[in-house]
Amino acid sequence: MSHLRDRDQDTICAASTPPGVGGISVVRLSGPEAISVIRKVCDFVSDKPESHKALYGFLKSVDSKNDESIDEVIVTFFQKGRSFTSEDTFEISCHGSPVIVSEILKELVVGGARLADRGEFTYRAFMNGRLDLVQAESVLSLIESQSQQSSRQALRQLKGKLSEQLEVIESEIIWCLAHLEASIDFSTENLEIVATEEMVRRTDQVAQKLAKLVDSFKLGRVVKDGFKLVLTGVPNVGKSSLLNLLVQEDRAIVTDVPGTTRDLIEASFMADGIKVNLVDTAGLRQSEDRVEKIGIQRSYEAISDADGVFFVFDSSQALSEAELNELNSLPAHNTHLIGNKLDVGTASAAERAENLKKSLAHLTFFKNFELTGQSFLEKVHFVSALDEKSGERLKSVLSHDLKNQQFEDLAVISNSRHFENLSKAKENLERAQGLLTDSSGAEFIALEMKESLLFVQETLGKRFDDQVMDRVFKEFCIGK
Amino acid sequence: MRKNDFDIIVVGAGHSGIEACLASARLGMKTLMVTTNLDRIGYMSCNPSIGGLAKGHMVREIDVLGGQMGIVADATCIQFKRLNATRGPAVRGSRVQNDKQLYSKMMTDLLFSTPNLSVKQGEVKRLILDGSTCVGVMLQDGSEIFSQSTIITTGTFMNGVMHMGDKQVSGGRVGDAASIGLSDQLKEFGFEVKRLKTGTPARLHKDSIDWSKTEIQNGDEKFFPFSFRSKSEYQLPQVACYLSRTTEQTHEIIRKNLDKSPMYCGIIEGVGPRYCPSIEDKVVRFADRISHQTFLEPEGLNTDLIYLQGISTSLPEDVQMEFLKTIPGLENVKVVRYGYAVEYDYIEPTQIWHRLETRPVENLFLAGQINGTSGYEEAAAQGFVAGVNAANKILGRAEFVLGRDQAYIGVLIDDLVTKGTREPYRMFTSRAEHRLILREDNTLDRLGEVGSELGIMGEESKNILSDLKNRRTNLLNGLRTTKIFPNAETQAKLAEIPTAVLLKSITFEELLRRPQIDSSHLPRLGFEITDGPNVTEPVEIEVKYSGYVKRQMDLIEQSKRLEEMRLEDDLEYKEIKGLSREEIEKLSRIKPRTLGQAQRISGVNPSAIQAIMIYLKGRKKLKELPVEQREERF
Repeated sequence: MSHLRDRDQDTICAASTPPGVGGISVVRLSGPEAISVIRKVCDFVSDKPESHKALYGFLKSVDSKNDESIDEVIVTFFQKGRSFTSEDTFEISCHGSPVIVSEILKELVVGGARLADRGEFTYRAFMNGRLDLVQAESVLSLIESQSQQSSRQALRQLKGKLSEQLEVIESEIIWCLAHLEASIDFSTENLEIVATEEMVRRTDQVAQKLAKLVDSFKLGRVVKDGFKLVLTGVPNVGKSSLLNLLVQEDRAIVTDVPGTTRDLIEASFMADGIKVNLVDTAGLRQSEDRVEKIGIQRSYEAISDADGVFFVFDSSQALSEAELNELNSLPAHNTHLIGNKLDVGTASAAERAENLKKSLAHLTFFKNFELTGQSFLEKVHFVSALDEKSGERLKSVLSHDLKNQQFEDLAVISNSRHFENLSKAKENLERAQGLLTDSSGAEFIALEMKESLLFVQETLGKRFDDQVMDRVFKEFCIGK
Repeated sequence: MRKNDFDIIVVGAGHSGIEACLASARLGMKTLMVTTNLDRIGYMSCNPSIGGLAKGHMVREIDVLGGQMGIVADATCIQFKRLNATRGPAVRGSRVQNDKQLYSKMMTDLLFSTPNLSVKQGEVKRLILDGSTCVGVMLQDGSEIFSQSTIITTGTFMNGVMHMGDKQVSGGRVGDAASIGLSDQLKEFGFEVKRLKTGTPARLHKDSIDWSKTEIQNGDEKFFPFSFRSKSEYQLPQVACYLSRTTEQTHEIIRKNLDKSPMYCGIIEGVGPRYCPSIEDKVVRFADRISHQTFLEPEGLNTDLIYLQGISTSLPEDVQMEFLKTIPGLENVKVVRYGYAVEYDYIEPTQIWHRLETRPVENLFLAGQINGTSGYEEAAAQGFVAGVNAANKILGRAEFVLGRDQAYIGVLIDDLVTKGTREPYRMFTSRAEHRLILREDNTLDRLGEVGSELGIMGEESKNILSDLKNRRTNLLNGLRTTKIFPNAETQAKLAEIPTAVLLKSITFEELLRRPQIDSSHLPRLGFEITDGPNVTEPVEIEVKYSGYVKRQMDLIEQSKRLEEMRLEDDLEYKEIKGLSREEIEKLSRIKPRTLGQAQRISGVNPSAIQAIMIYLKGRKKLKELPVEQREERF
């Protein structure tokens, strides 16, 4: 059967740092033959290297006739059982040049290793029991994180914070399910297994925990992928100028002709360690122009999945009918009103705010807004696009919003697979809650709980599903 | 060349042995039943009752497949109850009290009149092996009987020891000797043999009981027989059971004498059933309960014996008498036979295939309590499956294995061979992950076709089966296609029920889904139903719970992919990378049939399933390559 050698037995290698020129690059080598392969190119490595110790030397070609060294390197050995993959692993730090990296990889392949597939290092770590599925996914997030908050979140996940919470939820559902099952199967024994109130209480408890996690997805996604901010407002109020102030480069075409900004423009900037993705829209007005109509349609879509909306208006004038109409279509809970052109006219910011409030008082938007229980004045800001400090001022508006969220202690989900599963788990539990209160058949409640449990276990990778696994590991890049 | 005396020998005449023999003989096999006591065929050694939650389901399954237990249980029923009647349809269970003498007699008569079947009294001392194949049995007198296959259904008799206080007697049941020797021989063949215990309560004389201090418990008026072949009327007079309760005094006496219980002073090593505990167990484990209920159940119409359900014990006789007298109604009780515990050998069931043939010894089948189960129904189900498979093997037919999504019998056997058992295994509805579709009412929808094709049932039974099936289909179609229209008359009738009036015409199926409506309302609303409850009930349940049924089907569909991924018996698990030593050991020993089964083995992690799948996919790809390229690639 030796010819049936499994690919998982191979020793694999890949560059672990992104391609391109940098200070250093790291090449990773992992597998049962790692020591013998490295010794073919690094004669300074002994056949029994010490784990977690860095060795310095010159990496040479496998071909002994070619004595010229390829690079000056630091090689660190991680012993089987103590490495990321749980296999013998070397990390070769070399100079950051694509040419050197590919030379080294070529030599390792000649020496008996094979280039790793997408996600193969993490896959091995998972297969060898080093990581659970949630942790494996967090490796991907950590590598891809584009902001500080995002990498901190991924690190927490890698440390198992989310898994820990999910396991608590899992064991609580199991408790409910076990007691429910016992009450069915021992119904003739005249024992009260668990009081209904206790079951309701426990179910509510775990449903709340799940709901909290599900709700954290929005936040988690913001941290991971960025905060989606939409700029809207009627033409010619200075949206594009404000956008430029925020991103500090001339992204949008700024002219005085209404409707110039027909396409949605995307740009990003950082606010408080969070990436903000900015979208400028054509505004939500009526138009007969075919091209404009498409733009307006897209604006609606952008607004509906935005994390925040900046409605920009000219504060030196009264709001137009068109603007009032547009405001009524905006989501009250996450819209800020940005009064531009503070430099035009003589009214103070406070006066402008008062006037604005009066003109809005009869609007559905305002009524919706009052329902959110937020302070109106905190949502209204006056700036001037001509003032360079306006960019900072607007960023601080965002920071304020972001700071209301607790990133540190919360287990946050940021992966859409987790979100889907946990949302379903939550729905099941909510149905179970309903059935419990109208005292329906225990076996139906049990079905809901069982399904809920399966979704939680699937998230944790405790329940095997090859499609899930495939999905997870496909997201990885080579060398991670 | 040795000539076989029989095609199949069945050792044992309990509930498992009976089904095994009948299935085998009805499949045309020349069959021999060997039993140590011809007077105890189909004897109910413990409670005089068949069915219960999940157990009733199995009796119906055996019946639809062509087995015997249901028919005889119906014919000898002296009280019927539908348990959990107020709960959902999937967790209702039928339970009958039986005239136990009559049950045994009917089974005995049936065996003696079944073609192809001989019954012989004798004790099997040894199995005769040719290499690792069982070719027959040797009796205590040294005579040898040869057969193609042998099925062992010896229940609690292998090295059985009865305990009553500090007294120990060899035997599998009062009045019957233990079989000694067989399990030692099985150990020699490499079987892992372990010990279990079970217990039975005292039998009381009915005239010594003061019934006025007990609570009468009548059976249900309406009879739902187990068998689709039985009449839907009671065939014997129905009797009452009586309820009483232990008192604090009872518990006090038991606590004081715990050191005399072989369970508690360490004489019994076997593990008892957690779910059917002795009264000693109950008193210790539920110390805060001041009372436990007990049912006083007549053992038949023409007997004075009363079975004391729930009070099984192995305490000495004098202690039993002392505590019994503290139970209301039993102040002057006369005990006919005291309770006792039985300790016996069983074979760790992970050593058998789903078809119930053993792995170490070919043509040897094991069924019933010998596989670590408890209960008549669990035993009968296995006996039936073993009988069919032993016959099918000889006939060159495919093995008979039911899926977990098909039958409780499938769940039972898959659990046993996959997980083994450390305590007597009793069936529960919660063991079935697809419980909502494994109902009593739809047994024939699930298994009717399988039953008809097995070849055990006669034409007459098959006709009844297909007639029932047609009636159900017609009724369902009628509900789906007939509409009820909103006119003054129907609206008035609907309001009277009461349920919401109609806004537009709807089908009767839609109407029946309303929680306030059941099938009894339909005739007055214009939908005639001529069928009995054996047709209407399953259809009604199917309609009312269609949402849940569909979800359950979806779950089954999801699990199918893994269930359909076959694993070869000779798969070399140690070659698969990523498996732990424990996983390799378990997988190699249990040899799961499918990846789905592998996943159910405790201690086998999801990553191992992934690893096996990758290995199989790799191998499949390799097989698809032309031979010359295979070497090249690796």
